[in-house]
Amino acid sequence: MEAGKTNKPKKRDRIGVILYVFYVFMLLMSIVLIGGIVYIQLFFRPDKAIVEALTPNDQIRKIDPVRGNIYDCNGKLLAISCPSYQFYMDCTVLKDRNKPEEEEAWLDKAKELSKALADELKDKSADQYYKSIVEGRNKGNKYLRLTRKVDYDTRNRIVEFPLFREGRFKSGMIEVRTDVRQYPYGELARRTIGFVRDNSSDVANTHIGLEGKFDYILHGTQGREYLRRTDRGRVVNSDSVRVQAVDGKDLHTTLNIDYQEIADKALREQIENEEDLEGSCMVIMETATGAIRAMVNLVRDPKSGKWGEYQNVAIGRKAEPGSVFKTVTLMSVLNDGYITSLEQTLPATDGKVEGTSIRDEHIPQFARQHSTNRISVLDGFKISSNYVFAKLAVDNYGKKGGTDGTERFLANIYNYKLGDAFDFDLDGLQTPTIPNPGTRYWTNTDLGTMGYGYSTEETPLHILTFYNAIANKGKMMKPYLVEGPSILNSAVCTKAVADTLTRALKAVTEEGTARRLKDAKCSVAGKTGTSFGTFSNGQYFDAQGRRKYQGTFVGFFPADNPQYSIICMVYSYPTKKSFQGGGIPARAIRTVIDKVYDIDPCFREEIGGKRKKNK
Amino acid sequence: MKTWKISDIGVLLKNSFTAIMKGEFLLRLNVGKYFIHIIYTFLLFALIIWVSLMVETTMAKVESQKAQIRELKIINSQKVYELAETTRRSEVDKRLESLGSQVGEREERAVKLN
Repeated sequence: MEAGKTNKPKKRDRIGVILYVFYVFMLLMSIVLIGGIVYIQLFFRPDKAIVEALTPNDQIRKIDPVRGNIYDCNGKLLAISCPSYQFYMDCTVLKDRNKPEEEEAWLDKAKELSKALADELKDKSADQYYKSIVEGRNKGNKYLRLTRKVDYDTRNRIVEFPLFREGRFKSGMIEVRTDVRQYPYGELARRTIGFVRDNSSDVANTHIGLEGKFDYILHGTQGREYLRRTDRGRVVNSDSVRVQAVDGKDLHTTLNIDYQEIADKALREQIENEEDLEGSCMVIMETATGAIRAMVNLVRDPKSGKWGEYQNVAIGRKAEPGSVFKTVTLMSVLNDGYITSLEQTLPATDGKVEGTSIRDEHIPQFARQHSTNRISVLDGFKISSNYVFAKLAVDNYGKKGGTDGTERFLANIYNYKLGDAFDFDLDGLQTPTIPNPGTRYWTNTDLGTMGYGYSTEETPLHILTFYNAIANKGKMMKPYLVEGPSILNSAVCTKAVADTLTRALKAVTEEGTARRLKDAKCSVAGKTGTSFGTFSNGQYFDAQGRRKYQGTFVGFFPADNPQYSIICMVYSYPTKKSFQGGGIPARAIRTVIDKVYDIDPCFREEIGGKRKKNK
Repeated sequence: MKTWKISDIGVLLKNSFTAIMKGEFLLRLNVGKYFIHIIYTFLLFALIIWVSLMVETTMAKVESQKAQIRELKIINSQKVYELAETTRRSEVDKRLESLGSQVGEREERAVKLN
């Protein structure tokens, strides 16, 4: 190389020089760039405000799961999540940049917008809308709530209104979307279905209804994904972890929304004009399975006086059940063999039960009317005699000859599942109160009063479950709304005892205190019950002689081939009016039975083959 | 055997800098025979950038289609809700009445022909 070297100066061509200059330029730029990178990475400390402004604030996108729907037994939709939209306005938009004539034009468009909003929403006048916008603009309000929540179709119309159609940077329109839980049947079964505002609301502390109890199924699992900013907007960053959202599962309930509406309407018709009533409930249960087909809970709102589903009375209110408990006593004495026939008689003289303070004034009246001094168990059941059932309890389970059958009677009650709160598909089922002879509160009278439904406290659902067991020939099914049928007690009584009890219950509706049900479209077996609530003075009436009534009817239909069990209970404020089980509850149930009989497929008449008769 | 000195590093850096300034760095390294590979590598880089841009375009499309699906789901849930509302017994009664229909609630149980 050295040998070939000449002293002749090197001649550079022009293109080579240009390329060389370009090369040097690029080289310098690359040095600057590399230097810049090193500086930014190691030494540069930007202003925090700049970092906040330039860093995308939602790098992580939460993927909300869709909350599961709730359906009735026929697949009718009871609850669904739908989006709702609310419009706000940044009233200060373009305010500082507008020239006077532009400001005037903006306000003119705002006036047109106000008119369109008033026409669409019909909740405020155009002037009111316009006034709020102008006030907001003057006060510098950047988040004026302009509309109530609206549905998707209305939202689509609103975004096309004058001013709004120019986009958010010119109109100041802010649109907020939330998924709201919607209930197509409104108030129907609201307490049973429950309530959530939207899927993101925490329902952990408000386990109301199926929405609350089965939130873990309905809610689903939130997912997340990372986004990166591109020239074409934000896109999913495929290099990052993505957690798929798992939508909530649908819930299929046993409710039949048609029956629910029938029951709701029938009950409302009866209670709407009764100002002294405080609350009521009605439950329809399928006999064979324990599936609850309707659960109406109507309680009066103390402020507005309107009836609504504010409290689950059927499971959450326990009280002395009254005469509907006489069937428990009757089953107990039949099961234990203390009586073998409903025609067995007891003395009917002064109506006093020995060893207790119980005295039934209806017995002397019965004796006079029937010219007799004996009363049969069946007659006592038909006229709902307290004396007969107190005597049955005291004579058969009271202390005699050194033995005490009280524990046995109580054991029977527990065996009939009237002493415990069983596991139910809704939270809040009350535990019944059964007195304990071991406590100092126990008196000699308690056994007798228990015999006819006092001294104990039961929820309507417990009572219905017991009567359903009679309808089911002794097999006690657990009431359920979602989980599926299960047995609480495979034999609370023998089939023969169940048949005997059915005969007694039929007699009540045909000749007894529930005669209103005699002419129902199908035969009904059931029992009325009326009880009085206690006041703070320990009495069953207050200083003005007013009573707190609880009237109940519980039974099943058709009596000979039961398909459904039903209970209706109403309770009152202190009143001088009377609310008996044979009154409002029996009337409401009659309406329900007649309507259900017309529409339920199991009651249809078959022609052409074997004729099926349920009546 | 040649021994290395600290000053050799200085010479190396100086020679490299001179070579870079003259645009002869790669030739000095004698990697001319790998020129095609270097070009290929650059082509691959260009391809990766191009594919990334394509992926970005596709992802943007996916996002817009997701938004459309969300919109359709909203419409679906809204319609399902509205449909469910109309199946309420009292609502059906009202509609029949407003249409002047004689059809009302069934007053007798159904008959099944076998």
